[in-house]
Amino acid sequence: MSRFCKRAGLILIFVTPIALSQQEEEPNLGGEDLLSDEIIFDDNLFGNIFDESPNNNEESWLEGFTVRVSQQFYGQVNNHSVEPLPGFSFPRKAEMENNRLGLNIRYQNAFAPGWLLQASGQARAYWNEDYEYRANGGKIDAEYRVNEFFLQRSFEQNSFKFGRQTVVWGETVGNSVLDVINHIEFRDMTIIDIEDARLNQWMVVWDYFGEDSNWSSFINLYPEFNPAPVRGSPFFFEPQFNLTDYKRDGDAIFEVGTQWRKSFDLSDISFMAAYLYENQLRYEDPINNIGDALAKKNDFILLGFSANRAIGRLLLNFDLAFSHNVLADNFNLPGISSLASPLDLEKDQIGTSFGFEWAPDNDQSLSLGIQAQKVLDEDKGLLPGQQLVNEGVFGSWLVRYSNIFLNNDLTLASTLQGDLEGDSLLAMLSVNYTIDDNWTVEAQVISINSNSNSPLIFFDEDLRIGTTISYSF
Amino acid sequence: MISRGIKLVAGSIFLITFAGNILGQDLNGFDIMKLVDDAQRASNDSSFNRMQLSSCKFGVTDGRITCAERPRVKSLESVAKNYGPELMDTKSVTITIEPAAERGVGMLSFAYDETGRDNETWLYLSALGRVKRIASGDSDEETEPASLFGSEFTTEDTETGKLEEYTINILEETTTAGRDVWKIEMIPNEERARKTRYSRQVHYIDKERYVGLRSEMYDQYGKEVKRLMASRVELVNDIWMARSLTMMNLVTNRLSNMAFVEIYTDLDIQDEFLTQRTLTDAAYRETELENLRAQLN
Repeated sequence: MSRFCKRAGLILIFVTPIALSQQEEEPNLGGEDLLSDEIIFDDNLFGNIFDESPNNNEESWLEGFTVRVSQQFYGQVNNHSVEPLPGFSFPRKAEMENNRLGLNIRYQNAFAPGWLLQASGQARAYWNEDYEYRANGGKIDAEYRVNEFFLQRSFEQNSFKFGRQTVVWGETVGNSVLDVINHIEFRDMTIIDIEDARLNQWMVVWDYFGEDSNWSSFINLYPEFNPAPVRGSPFFFEPQFNLTDYKRDGDAIFEVGTQWRKSFDLSDISFMAAYLYENQLRYEDPINNIGDALAKKNDFILLGFSANRAIGRLLLNFDLAFSHNVLADNFNLPGISSLASPLDLEKDQIGTSFGFEWAPDNDQSLSLGIQAQKVLDEDKGLLPGQQLVNEGVFGSWLVRYSNIFLNNDLTLASTLQGDLEGDSLLAMLSVNYTIDDNWTVEAQVISINSNSNSPLIFFDEDLRIGTTISYSF
Repeated sequence: MISRGIKLVAGSIFLITFAGNILGQDLNGFDIMKLVDDAQRASNDSSFNRMQLSSCKFGVTDGRITCAERPRVKSLESVAKNYGPELMDTKSVTITIEPAAERGVGMLSFAYDETGRDNETWLYLSALGRVKRIASGDSDEETEPASLFGSEFTTEDTETGKLEEYTINILEETTTAGRDVWKIEMIPNEERARKTRYSRQVHYIDKERYVGLRSEMYDQYGKEVKRLMASRVELVNDIWMARSLTMMNLVTNRLSNMAFVEIYTDLDIQDEFLTQRTLTDAAYRETELENLRAQLN
């Protein structure tokens, strides 16, 4: 805890000179009458922008880069114990979880008429006391990955994108039942929004922009699956058998889908259909209990519909999904799969997500999303004594609220999310302050409460505090 | 807020022109401001502009207004076109170029003049991965005026129309910045007073070029709270326009300068450009923007 506070203190030391430097140039206001017509205003105050060439077509290719450097500190600060089972408890001590330097680079270049190259990637360095540092045997560790990387060709009514990208379906904010195309990774508690967890895949996407409606179709020639929890992360628990990625063994697997979308006055609707693989692998015990757990993939058919409707400053969202042949015994939480007694049953499932977004004024916004799913013919195929992981209606709810102050420089945001059964609650409060056009600083507090019916019981009464300072250019 | 904001970005405040020969001496205050309003709307039509919005805390040093801190700078590109039988509705697209943290954010807005009809706005954020509709309400809602992109300009400073909700008088004929001007006062009626932060506005209209050169906004106690100054008045496509507008907030000592680095009107803009495709299809967008620039050569 004390070490964590020291790190947080460093942030303040880091930021303070920036704030002070902005005050050093304070001009003398005393005695000057701002309303006087004698005061001279020169609009070159902001540089000679009017002297630049108005038709500068020879921009440097380097101008396509956007870079963000960030340093993050994050830790669990509540010393307590957790009792997932009666009589079995373990301590949860306050400790630093994240102490890492991040580099995010994005590049976009429309290098010729109708052509565009877009790429983004990230690198992380894990410093002392970061969980990845500890998992690396107490040595500084580093990691990098490519996120987006696609080439786009647009002509007439068509656009093709080849490469790593994401496809997002559904209208409901944060927990749509249709947002299942790309795999996700909730690596630790700093990532609680699906927008941050979504991973890119190698795809070809074809968009057709019609006069009254649009088609968007994709084919994924290399479907990927939710990665297993990283050793050392808060979500990592030593499994009986090592959880590995799916072994393709030369399998040629693919995903394909299409969406038709049309906008009306104050409303948008979409219909979609897809052949997909479940993003979450199911793990089974290895043969003869030797070696790694066996990762099993499952393909299914998705049919969906989504719509929204704006009424004044209120936006209603609705998604409907029918899934044919999903595995009945997969947990609905990312990164967690059932290992014990797999039922190996495929079933149909129907799900909906719905909610609203409301902006009571120009600074505040409130959204609610409810996701509910149900396995059809639950009992069919079950042996006596067998039970589905998810029985009846199951799902989650999500509330987000934000309020901006100081001419958009300060944003207060909060998120509440839990499951429909009321077994768990995650609450997050964040403050984001934009210091200037380059620097931002964010602080977060996250608390979790859960009972033993939820996998989040392992994080019950956890309280996390974190801060991130970023420089963008 | 967003949709009305876009409406401003598409045009500007007090880009005033009077088509044809109008005998100003025969006009009353309402007539002048009506022509101003119509001209502002016309200047939005089929336009493309690149705008820089700079803000800072200010003071006075050696008789000159100076920034007391490093200015905050937003750079935006916007395309707009008017629709409807009287060209009273506006469709516009705005893309953020700077700052880096907001680069690529795009907004599409349909602003309707019809009373009670809700405007439509779609937002594209790369992090979101899709186009998202925003419920923005209609232009007549009694909401507090909002800051425009975090600047000292507010949505109220950008509105067109609503002139019938004011009592408008010509106070005098005088000079400002070396130009002959009409000094025109606008006082809101009871209904308008509930929606505005200003109890009185005074505008200085260039009598020869018909451009607003200066505006003063007063609060309910009669104290001047904001001042708008226009400069760089230039003839663009046969229209006199102020390419630099500076709003000084005299309460907070902050100012924002809106500089139209590039501004072109009367372009041939394809209807398809003002659709959601422009937000998601960057290859198409950049190609079409180059085509717009090519029209100028």
